Amino acid sequence: MSNAPAEEIPTADIDLEAANHVIDKYLTLPGNLMPVLQGIQDEYGYVPKPTIDLVAERLNVYPSQIYGVLTFYAQFHLKPRGRFIIRVCVGTACHVQGAPRIVETFFDKLGIGHAETTPDLRFTFEKVACLGACGMAPLAMVNDSTYGSMTVQKVGDIIADYSQRPMKK
Amino acid sequence: MVNLTIDDKQVTVPKDATIFDAAKAAGIRIPILCHDKKLHPFGGCRMCLVEVEQMKGRQIPACTTPVTEGMIVRTTTDEIIKARKMVLELLLLKHPIDCPVCDAAGDCDLQNLTYEYKVNANRFQDEKFQHKIDYENPLIERDMNRCIHCGKCARICDEIVSFGAYTFMNRGIEAKIGTEFDGPLNCEFCGSCVSVCPVGALVSRPFKFKARWWSLNKVKSVCSYCGTGCQLTLGVKDNKVLTTIYDENQGFHNGQLCTRGRFGYQFVNSDKRLSTPLIRKNGTLQPASWDEALTLVSAKLVEAKNAGGKSVAGLVTPRLTNEELFLIKKLFKDGLGSDSIDHSAGYAHAALTAGAAESFGSAASPSVISDIQNADLLLVVKTDAYETHPVVGFEINLGVKRKEIDLRIISDKRGKLSKLPKAVTYVHKPGQEVALVNALAQVLLADNLQDSTATGVEGFEGLKQQLEAFAPEKIAAACGLDADTIKTLARDYAKAAKALIILPLGLGYPGHGKALAQALANLALLSGKVGKEGCGVLFLGEKNNSQGAADLGIYPTAGGADADAILAGCQSGSIKTLIVAGENPVVSYPDRKRVEAALDKVEFLVVQDLFLTETAAKAHVVLPACSFAEKSGTFTSVGRAVQQVNQAIKPVGEARSDFAILNGLLAGLTGNAPYADAAAVFAEIAATVPAYAGLTIAGLGDTGAILPVTVKPRFVAAETAAVTAESGKFALVTGSALYHCGTMSRFGEGPMHVCPEGYVELGRDDAQALNVKDGDTVAVKSASGELRLKAKVGTRMPQGVVFAPYHFDEASVNSIAVGAPVTWVSISK
Ligand code: SF4
Ligand code: SF4
Ligand code: SF4
Ligand code: FES
Ligand code: FES
Repeated sequence: MSNAPAEEIPTADIDLEAANHVIDKYLTLPGNLMPVLQGIQDEYGYVPKPTIDLVAERLNVYPSQIYGVLTFYAQFHLKPRGRFIIRVCVGTACHVQGAPRIVETFFDKLGIGHAETTPDLRFTFEKVACLGACGMAPLAMVNDSTYGSMTVQKVGDIIADYSQRPMKK
Repeated sequence: MVNLTIDDKQVTVPKDATIFDAAKAAGIRIPILCHDKKLHPFGGCRMCLVEVEQMKGRQIPACTTPVTEGMIVRTTTDEIIKARKMVLELLLLKHPIDCPVCDAAGDCDLQNLTYEYKVNANRFQDEKFQHKIDYENPLIERDMNRCIHCGKCARICDEIVSFGAYTFMNRGIEAKIGTEFDGPLNCEFCGSCVSVCPVGALVSRPFKFKARWWSLNKVKSVCSYCGTGCQLTLGVKDNKVLTTIYDENQGFHNGQLCTRGRFGYQFVNSDKRLSTPLIRKNGTLQPASWDEALTLVSAKLVEAKNAGGKSVAGLVTPRLTNEELFLIKKLFKDGLGSDSIDHSAGYAHAALTAGAAESFGSAASPSVISDIQNADLLLVVKTDAYETHPVVGFEINLGVKRKEIDLRIISDKRGKLSKLPKAVTYVHKPGQEVALVNALAQVLLADNLQDSTATGVEGFEGLKQQLEAFAPEKIAAACGLDADTIKTLARDYAKAAKALIILPLGLGYPGHGKALAQALANLALLSGKVGKEGCGVLFLGEKNNSQGAADLGIYPTAGGADADAILAGCQSGSIKTLIVAGENPVVSYPDRKRVEAALDKVEFLVVQDLFLTETAAKAHVVLPACSFAEKSGTFTSVGRAVQQVNQAIKPVGEARSDFAILNGLLAGLTGNAPYADAAAVFAEIAATVPAYAGLTIAGLGDTGAILPVTVKPRFVAAETAAVTAESGKFALVTGSALYHCGTMSRFGEGPMHVCPEGYVELGRDDAQALNVKDGDTVAVKSASGELRLKAKVGTRMPQGVVFAPYHFDEASVNSIAVGAPVTWVSISK
């Protein structure tokens, strides 16, 4: 309703159809905001801005409120995520076993930092706390696959391997 | 009622009171930071801790704890003081304590409490916040480093404003108040959040570094924009209005204001104000002395008087005080012998002066503002009621959200009100309001839902006959609503125990005239919903004193010419002298070309105004007048509330109030002594205008008075005007933008920062079909002209309907709209 300049949001045109489907599914359910947002994240891999506006309009909630929910729960992502999520454990055991060097090598080779995504949307890199497999320290994961006893050499192998894999799920 | 003891005092309070309320009633102050009487209790800050004996001395927040019978409360034990100190210490831990450069200093609850509780050292240590300050918008600066997380801004924006700009975001120590995507604030800029922020986290940018709080002189007055009649307090220094000050105890609205009232005051000290009288010499307006200007005007008026008075007319803004309106009416009647005086083109007030006058027996709303929250059902005509009268909009918001009032809106577009919980918006085709309301009345009769009193009202039989043509089935297609929907609405309205109809008026709404007012009056009278609490019809007069202008007869009453006829007279040469007091017909009256041509013909045009408006630029003499801040008197607002306007500053430059100008001219023409002051004129108003009988200015005090009204009901058939759709064209409807009111707000920096120019709003589908994007410039062409306007694309407009606000000079909508409720236009890139 205001004429103040809207924030520039770098979004590729988002097809809202999937989001509309998710909303249709939960439209009449009381307390539907969380399942709708989860559904949208499942569809897009993150919660794109245009879908927030869509949800605000269709469920008649303030966009700010949705944003509050999205930032409260760690499970939600507001930026596009890579097809492959690389997580490197920096818990105590892994740290002692050289996790910092593994992290550095990923940074170097991928050209991105913590919680960032490569421009081609192939990789997202994250440092995480103890993954509960200290016996395999230092530990890395790519999506659901686990890689124990990581070395600098293995970092290259993993990246090479996943760079070959198809982007489609 | 519940009895309890607070600090050894016996208190009796209603059972829904909290300990805080009870203490307040007993005159005991409990410090608060997150509590606000207008908002739901929050209980977040723990500043208001008290001890309750029955709870074994446990410390509980007074602001959220309900009272119970026999409760024994202590508000200031050593333990409590310790606890409060601790609360403050923890808040100060993160707070930047940059009071020397903080605009809230002096008016900051944190600063004041820190002082009061003598917190001069901190046992704890922590890093300060490092939040980026939001300087993006021109009106509200957001420094979240100063935020104490009281949540008041988020709550008021949700609970009262219903905009919902803020939310708590993130978790734990990262938590802060944020906006959508943590971006810059982009909202209605009503400033409600600024007014309740207990610290300097939200401050008014126009006021930044202008003056220290304690150096301001605080003067109570009434907003001079719309007819809502919000009270405000002006912060004044060095003969300048520097800000508006929030006072939660002012008015029915508890100090709430809209963006115009809060941020639109800069027109008062605008450097565009006229500084001297101007006289046209050799074709150009040149500075002149008051003596010269007034001598000239007087001479011309004497001439006009001697010629019988028929050749002089006046167009008067309803922004003047009642006293000024009285003087100008008297000047015309007694001084000049002319009845040709009118305001707002006749369109904007005909609902009152013709509609209500015939249907209810007087040119006033039979309802008052408090009826809004006392109703069970609200029938609002056009969602625009929020834009034209935003603080009335807040009342509607509150009623719907707190009291679950059933909100029904008949409108040619959707709007903010449509989003309120369970609100139903009946979107009809433009220009079909009267037919639709007639149909509602027809359903009442057909279903035998009329009140027993209705049959006895004059005109009942005639109405019954006339309404036969309006059976829902007959008008459904033209209205664009199906017959059953119309019937349901009519039945729900009739069955509600208390239902209030709200009709916004204004120059932008030519369709909201006599017929629509009468159709609505018929509906209310048929169902017996007039003259009872929470019932009736509330007409929202456009300007701050629209009701006063109706009361004081600023419209042709004795066969004189109305605005339309005055312009025709100017054109034909029968009107030779025209006094324009504060009106700006060139921009605001329908059909700009015609208005300009008429004004160009007038032999002697006098304009009294604050600014060299488009109309003043055509004058022979321009007299610099005063704003509301420079004068005392009264305004009568929506719901017949008369309130006092108090002079806050001396006239700016050489300006003189309309009161002074008119008083002098009147005395000159009649040979009578001038009136001593506004109070003397008010006394005469009280003596001659029945509704004001018995009132005095001083007696109005801070609260004002509600004028009495006696309803003499009559059914008058409401005529519909045919709307003929032109194929392939869009229906253009005009109206008000939220940030503006009339054309005066264009001189307020606040409104102009947010909404600087005209636009045309269209729905997404139409925009897509035209390949128009938000912000594109489009050509809007009607039979009478063409305009280039910025396109605003949104979800409000139904297909085939576009909206444009009037207010603006460049691209003034009246150059394409000539006063019909719907203007057919083509739009191209
Ligand atoms: S200025 Fe008004 S609309 Fe904007 S955030 Fe503050 S309260 Fe909400
Ligand atoms: S910005 Fe002000 S009102 Fe809002 S939470 Fe912070 S301190 Fe409270
Ligand atoms: S413009 Fe109207 S609603 Fe806004 S503050 Fe002034 S009187 Fe109130
Ligand atoms: S520390 Fe890395 S898995 Fe436990
Ligand atoms: S004022 Fe009671 S908890 Fe904040």
